[in-house]
Amino acid sequence: MRQAHAPDATHAGIGLRAPHYAEIARRKPRLAFLEVHSENFFGDGGPPLAWLERFRADYPLSLHGVGLSLGTADALDETHLAKLAALAQRFEPALVSEHLCWGAIGGRFANDLLPLPYTEPALARVIEQIGHAQDRLGRRILVENVSSYLEFEDSTIPEWEFLAETARASGCGILLDVNNIHVNAMNHGFDALRYLDAIPARAVEEIHLAGYEESGGLLIDTHGARVFPEVWRLYEAAIARFGARPTLVEWDTDIPELDVLLREASTATAILERADAPQHERIGA
Amino acid sequence: MASLARLQADFLAAVVDAANADRAPAIRAGSLGAAQRLAVYRRNLHANWRAALEDTHPVVARLVGGAFFGEAARLYALAHPSPSGDLNRFGEHFGAFLAEYPHAQDVPYLADVARLEWAWHACFHAATAMPLDFAALGAVPAERHGEIRFSLHPAARLVESVHPILAIWEANQPERDGTPDRFEGPDRVLVHRPDLDVEMQILDAPAFAFLRAVRDGQTFEAAAASAGFEDAQALGATLQRFVASRVIVAFAAP
Repeated sequence: MRQAHAPDATHAGIGLRAPHYAEIARRKPRLAFLEVHSENFFGDGGPPLAWLERFRADYPLSLHGVGLSLGTADALDETHLAKLAALAQRFEPALVSEHLCWGAIGGRFANDLLPLPYTEPALARVIEQIGHAQDRLGRRILVENVSSYLEFEDSTIPEWEFLAETARASGCGILLDVNNIHVNAMNHGFDALRYLDAIPARAVEEIHLAGYEESGGLLIDTHGARVFPEVWRLYEAAIARFGARPTLVEWDTDIPELDVLLREASTATAILERADAPQHERIGA
Repeated sequence: MASLARLQADFLAAVVDAANADRAPAIRAGSLGAAQRLAVYRRNLHANWRAALEDTHPVVARLVGGAFFGEAARLYALAHPSPSGDLNRFGEHFGAFLAEYPHAQDVPYLADVARLEWAWHACFHAATAMPLDFAALGAVPAERHGEIRFSLHPAARLVESVHPILAIWEANQPERDGTPDRFEGPDRVLVHRPDLDVEMQILDAPAFAFLRAVRDGQTFEAAAASAGFEDAQALGATLQRFVASRVIVAFAAP
């Protein structure tokens, strides 16, 4: 399958949401790529697909799935996978990603990103399912670390080792969500820099940034706020370690004016440009 | 695998419904209790489901208000577990649920308004279609016309109610104050997306019955008979109108 060029790693992209379609089509802001939730384009026709046809002419696309449930003990939903495969075939996205989590069991769907027990059997299961998905799609996918609000007693493997081993054994890439690392570091009490150190740089093909909320002693990954200063610092550490990577700012609840999102993307772009600059320019930056 | 399946089934049961909280797998509590941590997931799941229902049923949400809608959404999610990883499919049975929902009995039109909104949503995402092939239709001998089975555009739905559901729907669009232009039904509504915009229109009884029979796969002759048109001229004009407006887009010749 022909694939679009990889997004420009020195510019950030944004999550494309319906309230911004018309404005982006009109203004065509400079963005490395646009990312959509794959499932919102699973229909057979109509305005969503017509919009996506329009955007692909101007931007590399990234299909980001939220519903495949790679970590389920069930078989993968073949109907879901077939729709994703057809969508990827049609739009030739630069990136296709999913989450390192589960969201369905026994035919019941949670429509949420639920945490895995970090155990050897769960690891083996998710590696097997990613292999199946990659075979079915005929391409490599990226898998994203998720926010979580609890840890299972059964877990025996640190989350960062589970993620790194998933990528190594399945051959998938990593979509590293820096906000989610910060959220989990706070919720579960680990060192976020130690997490970064465990991730193989070559596997990281995209980075996500978003905002969270604090509620009842936990950080909740709401995608409903600006990126927090702590997360910007962690992002700078990640770029220093991994090099410039296509970076995406996500916003899903209380979606603001497009310009708010574009300013967040500009902040990420500035960090990427510094990382990309020749060494002598970086001195004193 | 057995243990992973068991953990996931127990976790989902405990998270979906607080009544099953005792099924939750062992959780590292830390500074917060396991119950509080589970409750975060419970809130997230139900908030996602509610938001999906509100996206597809904004008029129902406006008619009943936030508290009523939230509780109806919670009970709907328990009665009709989500069948897919695609949230766009979640609300399919909300109209049927509301028809039986005890607290909705004071709002008799609510279930039919929900069905109308779901028809709109289904049309929004349905396939596009080419107009009917007139040349091919012209090649069917006149004496076989009665045996033709027409078919509707994939983005066409029919919704019938004894209540004025289209007037209620229109009155509850964002720019309106909620007062319907009409207070009497019945409303027989054709929901249709010929190109990119979803349109809704009231049909008279014969036209509605005709399209319903076509939708259900009846022959042209049977559909015409069930519609009860006044004369052949009215039948011909109706067929022509729906072909021209791309409500009828295909046929199978005998």
